[in-house]
Amino acid sequence: MSAITVRDLSKTFAYYRKQSGLRHSLRNLFHREQLYRHAVANISFDIGQGEAVGFIGPNGAGKTTTLKMLSGILHPSAGEARVLGYVPWERRREFKRRFAIVMGQKSQLWWDLPANESIYLNKCIYGIDEREYRMTLDELAEMLDVKHLLGVQVRRLSLGERMKMEIIAALIHRPKLLFLDEPTLGLDFAAQQNVRQFLKAYKEEKQATILLTSHYMRDIEHVCGRALVIHGGQIAYDGKLSRMSESFGRRKRMKVRFAAFIPPEELHELVRLLAVVRTHDGLTAELEVSADEVKPLARLLIDHDLVEDWTVEEVPVEEVIERLYKAKFGNEGEGDDGEAPGTRQRHAQEG
Amino acid sequence: MSTGLLAKCRAALDRGTDYVRLYGVFVKNCLSAGMEYRFNFWMGIAVEIAFLCAKALYILIVYQTDLHIGKLTPDHILLFIGTYTMMTGLYMGLFYVNFIRLQQYIRDGTLDLLMTKPVSLQFLVSLRYVDIGLPVPNVVAGAMMIAVGWHRSGLPLNGNIAGFAALLLAALAVTYGIMLLPALLAFRFVQTGAVTEIAHSIWDANNMPLDIFPQWLQRIGVYIIPVFLISNYAPKFVLNELAMGDIIWAVAAPVLLFVLVRWCWKRAVRSYSSAGS
Repeated sequence: MSAITVRDLSKTFAYYRKQSGLRHSLRNLFHREQLYRHAVANISFDIGQGEAVGFIGPNGAGKTTTLKMLSGILHPSAGEARVLGYVPWERRREFKRRFAIVMGQKSQLWWDLPANESIYLNKCIYGIDEREYRMTLDELAEMLDVKHLLGVQVRRLSLGERMKMEIIAALIHRPKLLFLDEPTLGLDFAAQQNVRQFLKAYKEEKQATILLTSHYMRDIEHVCGRALVIHGGQIAYDGKLSRMSESFGRRKRMKVRFAAFIPPEELHELVRLLAVVRTHDGLTAELEVSADEVKPLARLLIDHDLVEDWTVEEVPVEEVIERLYKAKFGNEGEGDDGEAPGTRQRHAQEG
Repeated sequence: MSTGLLAKCRAALDRGTDYVRLYGVFVKNCLSAGMEYRFNFWMGIAVEIAFLCAKALYILIVYQTDLHIGKLTPDHILLFIGTYTMMTGLYMGLFYVNFIRLQQYIRDGTLDLLMTKPVSLQFLVSLRYVDIGLPVPNVVAGAMMIAVGWHRSGLPLNGNIAGFAALLLAALAVTYGIMLLPALLAFRFVQTGAVTEIAHSIWDANNMPLDIFPQWLQRIGVYIIPVFLISNYAPKFVLNELAMGDIIWAVAAPVLLFVLVRWCWKRAVRSYSSAGS
């Protein structure tokens, strides 16, 4: 059974552009050229009950806009969606009781009060029974290891501690559906790991449905089994995360600094069977290589006594997404002016 | 049929009780948050006491100038000014602190999280904060002026007080509606400081009895933008200057205004486009 059903959902925002300078500000006072941005364009997908889905995409791809529509914050421009059987933007009270949204960049805690006061306020808002509230608070605080910090003023907490409190405040009514928008943004490695583990445990324990956006692939790999890749407001990939990783995650980038100048044709000839030369300026080069071929390539370069230093990195997620997008849509979505695909300029009357 | 109606009434009453309880938590949180900063808290009280003394000078001014407006003596005028002062305090402490935040909620997207809560968004946004210190000098000074004016005018202490209090409550509801409406423009224009200034200027028209204005302006202020209901109707009631039609209007206006505000609120929220993140 689907917890979330989305059909041809679109959202278009109106905005205007202003060039810098007082002269343009003055002109802007009297005339503004209205532009439209198609933040989300006809996306469709289903998410089953208890499923955890990673929503992946570069900045401005439409992830947060989709999350906001599914949580009822925004009305769509077109399309349909059902979340737990409700139309989200009708904002029914019963619907709001059944989900939670956590936004890494937005806070629901009272800055000047200890976190437990804000959590208690949510208890009153959700009408939670006192005993159940105590039990849930204890359980969540223990899982996130912040029990001793509940009485500390929020502004005195570290970013990681604050995010954990945000999560407790959001989950105090034990929702079965979680929208998580960059919940680990800005956290250090340990805090990220802690939040990740918590989300996984919560999902397994409560059979919760999760839609998670994150810039950190590790968050998604740890919590989710399925990936939805969005780019330019369109779904570029919808499938198992493992399949996506197989396609792209097993490619590595080797950045090499040579001990001496090496001509391009010589380097190409040398690594031809193992790697692709992405960039080369004689003294440094960036090679793309399959994960299995990293060792042979390293051995080859050492054997020829060419290397002074090197690093091996993952292919950046943004690039993986770009490739997925191109594989699906070709180059048709690219804007001429370098804007995000899906941005079209129109005059107001056309809108 | 009657059982269904009874159940509905009970549900509405329960919901009303829940909202009152929630408002109590808001007040408690605001008070606690204020007390977190001890220096500011005590300084705030000291400043408010100083303001209270300044407000008391109003009484002297009214009597020294021996101001008469039509049949209204300085004692009567003090009753009007006292009501205005008290309502200003209540507006500042209960509503203004929330309405002024609306544009910030919209600009930085704070409204997003509030929207997902299973309580009325209008309630959450328009009543979430209470400034305890801000209204104290106005409310106390206003109450003092009302008491002095009442006593010196020789008005009886009978059912009039209940009527006066009921009309003050109606005035509070009118204040909520009238002052929230311009704030709603923030959904469309984000920055609405200029409109708020206009609303406050109109509000200040209340600091004298409406009798000082020409008839056409009085009609606008009573029936179109019912701002004169805020500080004129309660004193006029105890001075026996309200006809039955006026009293009915004093009861109907807040209800109509609230319906209008709800309609505008729903339309405004529908067009909310959030902030980028």
